[in-house]
Amino acid sequence: MKLLAKYWWIILLLFIALYPPTLGGMSPYRAGVLIFVGIYVILAVSLDLLMGYTGQISVGHAAFFAIGAYVSGILTVKCGVSPLLAMLAGMGLSAAVAWAMGRPVLALKEYYLAMATLALNEIIVTLIIGLQWLTGGASGLRDVPSFSIIGFSFDNQIHYYYLVWAIVALVVASSIVVARSSFGRTLIAIHSDETAAKTFGIDCAAYKVRVYVLSAIFASIAGSLFAHHMGFLAPDDFSVFTSINILVMLYLGGIGTIYGPALGAVFLKLLPEVTLQFQDYEMLMNGVILIIILVFVPKGLFGIVTGIKNRFVTRGAG
Amino acid sequence: MKKIFLVIALVVALSLLIGTSSTLLAQAKQPYKIGFIVPLTGYLSWLGEYMKRGAEVQVEMINKAGGVNGRPLELVTYDDQSSPETATRHAQRLISGDKVVAIMGTGTAVVSGAVSSVANKSKVPAVIQSGYALSEKETFTFNNAHPTDFAISRPMMYFQKRGINQIALLMPIGPLGELGSGIARKHAPSFKITILGEEKFDVKAPDVTTQLAKLRTLNPQAIMAFTTGEPAALLARNMAQMGMNIPLVVSHGNATPGFLKLVAQTPTMVIVPSGKIMAVETLADKDPVKKVVVEFNKAYQAKYGEPGNYYSGQQADAVSLIAEGLKVTKSDDPVKLRDAIENTKGFAGNNGVYNMSPTDHQGTRMEDMILLTVKDGKWAVLE
Amino acid sequence: MGDFSHLVQFLFSGLTSGSVYALMAVSLVIVYKVSLLICFAQGEFFVVGALTMVTLVSKGLPMPVAFALSVLVAMVLGALVERVLIRPIQHTGVGNLIVMTIAISLALRGSALLIWGKESHILAPFSAGKPIAVLGATLQPQVLWIMGITILVLLVIWLFFEKTTLGVAMRACAENQLGASLMGISTQKAAILSWAWGAGIGALAGMTVAPLLFMQYGSGVMPMVKGFVAMSIGGLASIAGAVIAGFLLGIVEAYTIGLISSQFSDTIVFAILIIVLFIRPSGLFATTGRREV
Repeated sequence: MKLLAKYWWIILLLFIALYPPTLGGMSPYRAGVLIFVGIYVILAVSLDLLMGYTGQISVGHAAFFAIGAYVSGILTVKCGVSPLLAMLAGMGLSAAVAWAMGRPVLALKEYYLAMATLALNEIIVTLIIGLQWLTGGASGLRDVPSFSIIGFSFDNQIHYYYLVWAIVALVVASSIVVARSSFGRTLIAIHSDETAAKTFGIDCAAYKVRVYVLSAIFASIAGSLFAHHMGFLAPDDFSVFTSINILVMLYLGGIGTIYGPALGAVFLKLLPEVTLQFQDYEMLMNGVILIIILVFVPKGLFGIVTGIKNRFVTRGAG
Repeated sequence: MKKIFLVIALVVALSLLIGTSSTLLAQAKQPYKIGFIVPLTGYLSWLGEYMKRGAEVQVEMINKAGGVNGRPLELVTYDDQSSPETATRHAQRLISGDKVVAIMGTGTAVVSGAVSSVANKSKVPAVIQSGYALSEKETFTFNNAHPTDFAISRPMMYFQKRGINQIALLMPIGPLGELGSGIARKHAPSFKITILGEEKFDVKAPDVTTQLAKLRTLNPQAIMAFTTGEPAALLARNMAQMGMNIPLVVSHGNATPGFLKLVAQTPTMVIVPSGKIMAVETLADKDPVKKVVVEFNKAYQAKYGEPGNYYSGQQADAVSLIAEGLKVTKSDDPVKLRDAIENTKGFAGNNGVYNMSPTDHQGTRMEDMILLTVKDGKWAVLE
Repeated sequence: MGDFSHLVQFLFSGLTSGSVYALMAVSLVIVYKVSLLICFAQGEFFVVGALTMVTLVSKGLPMPVAFALSVLVAMVLGALVERVLIRPIQHTGVGNLIVMTIAISLALRGSALLIWGKESHILAPFSAGKPIAVLGATLQPQVLWIMGITILVLLVIWLFFEKTTLGVAMRACAENQLGASLMGISTQKAAILSWAWGAGIGALAGMTVAPLLFMQYGSGVMPMVKGFVAMSIGGLASIAGAVIAGFLLGIVEAYTIGLISSQFSDTIVFAILIIVLFIRPSGLFATTGRREV
């Protein structure tokens, strides 16, 4: 039994790998849904690095999601660049923006930090709309090709599913590594008591910016994967409301646990599959289900699964 | 330990539910399934409601008359919440999960774009209605709404007759505004109209008198604002507040009872392009549209206590077009259905007489549109 | 009708939008002050108040009665929400609570959709009258109502929290829960009251602003977002600051649209917001040295 508990992640990986041919019935639709799930897992995990470990609230993470998506979209559609290179370009731009905005934004406190990230999100979206000649504006960018690596094109949903989840696994694994490394411990120290950390000679601002850049890069990857999956991009999918959705995933799953937000993303993205039958009642049902979970499982879905140790160390974002 | 399995069980259960069909009808004959993606919640939910009603009335009418090829039609309806991502998921679900023979609906250009992308990749016909401008590559998409070109040219024709040749544009930030602006500039010269200036506005803004004040300094004879619903009504209200007694042309999306209520008390002269369904009494008996509209209105009135409106009628047309195509193909093959719809000729619907072709996936003509205005709190035909 | 009049119109336009943002910001700051929570459900109390009033007026009730009743309904709703949904999780951390308010706002919006449908509704202005014309520019009288009611709210709130025992007790609860309960103040009662107050003021904002706009179940979202922006400009601690910030936001928006660009006005305004935050990280009106939560 103990062995099972220790290597539960192997079971999970097996489940993910075997899903399409078994429960998924090789259905491109089911693979498609899980591709969206995977993309949001990356987003949620990237935000958790920022919020869960450093306590920096971001209500504008979709900004980097958008940068990745639109850089991939524009470069592949208008300049014929290979999707892989376009994704790297998106990561570069996101990193640059996060690095440039990082210090001043992260110096703000709590609510004001949140508003600054919201403003950044809005600026990116309004720029996307305003620069119509480049981005297709509010009407959207069409004909984004499927992702491809050196000639192999991921037209098939099932192939793309494996690619996306391989990347998800990489992102989650690297996030865990970062969280448990000395870098991660430093972040937690900064979060717990920044003044004390400073007396130890830690350059808090630099650490915060580094994590911001990393989370931006991951979000950008998610954006690129999203662009090639949708084939069509519109600014509507990158608004502050998307950012807030990602935030909700964090708290639903259990902030600061990496796995928790991943679980939160899975839940929040699969929930509509069930509630969509209720049409007009869908909004109310989603709200009620969320409320029920938040009341009965306030530590998040992952809190059911694991001990309290992690939660004690990270005080959440407030 | 047990709790881990609980969570895993939850995830497995949820993943199993993906793709399960939400309709539980047990029909004696296998129905033709038509996917319907509509904004039931979100800022366009009022529009989605009209679309849903129109589609359901038409499906009921057809099924009552025996269905198509002896088989009933069945709508599989999902809410797109006006989100392109949600619509994409639904389109994928409809095609691989519910195995529909065609998709219809969407109410806004960006959602249409998302659905069209999926439909063309999967080679399933999509009959959408919105301002979405089709490109040649989208061989599986049809747009049976009156094209934006007509909605803009028709009022310009009216302006030309009345000697109005200097107008200003006040366009919403968003796809409608981008469409409206581009097409207005494209057609203005052919009607000898000069566009003096253009301003943009946020559809959620509480007040647009700033933009109106800016435009007023140019002395336009009319304002064209390709916007729908609350923002259009706000424009009318603000113009009345500022004493601007010039006509305001809005989008054809406003030919609905809901919009009428919003502007009934506003003195501004609002011009709404529309389909003939909104003015049945003025139609000549020999107009093939009249028969269709009268029948549709009767059924709609019976169910909802009010006559059909522009959007419901348009959605009903989508159902009819698909049904006609199925009558021809007599099969469940989506590609054959696409070919059949593409060859629709002389088919009378609420929106006009449809003539499709491989190069024309919209099918209507400018003559199918009329201009409405509001008088004494009711619709009146301008021309 | 030379250059001057449209510049004045920009001001009036700014005051109109600004009045909406200001009143909303006031309700958000008040809620924050009594419960230390950023409440995302305020937009829904805003809508519920307005739509309830629309319904009551359509049933023939005189406006002032409908007004008072709607505030009451909202207050009861707020109290219920606190008792049933917030109380069980009140000790789970601010982040969780904020996300709960997000879930509540979703549920409330979904309910409003079912109750009032998808159509937009109109509420008549509080006083019939022609637009006020000054120097060739016009302003709707309702804006003056909004300003007046905002000032009234400020006065009442100040009086309540400074001069009444109950008010002082509630402030004590907000600033130091343990200390307050040690002094015999019922923190449970204070919590319910603060939610009732917050909802009531949110509803009041909605009703007062409704005649300027059109109301449907989703109409609370935009004012709330603008209210949050105004709150961050004015500083979380200051109610008067929220009012000034709200009007400032509206006026800056209007002049940006009018003088610079209507396409990029949002981009510019948000850029200005970020710059303001960099320069004055606790808002324009925060007292320095005071540690924000």
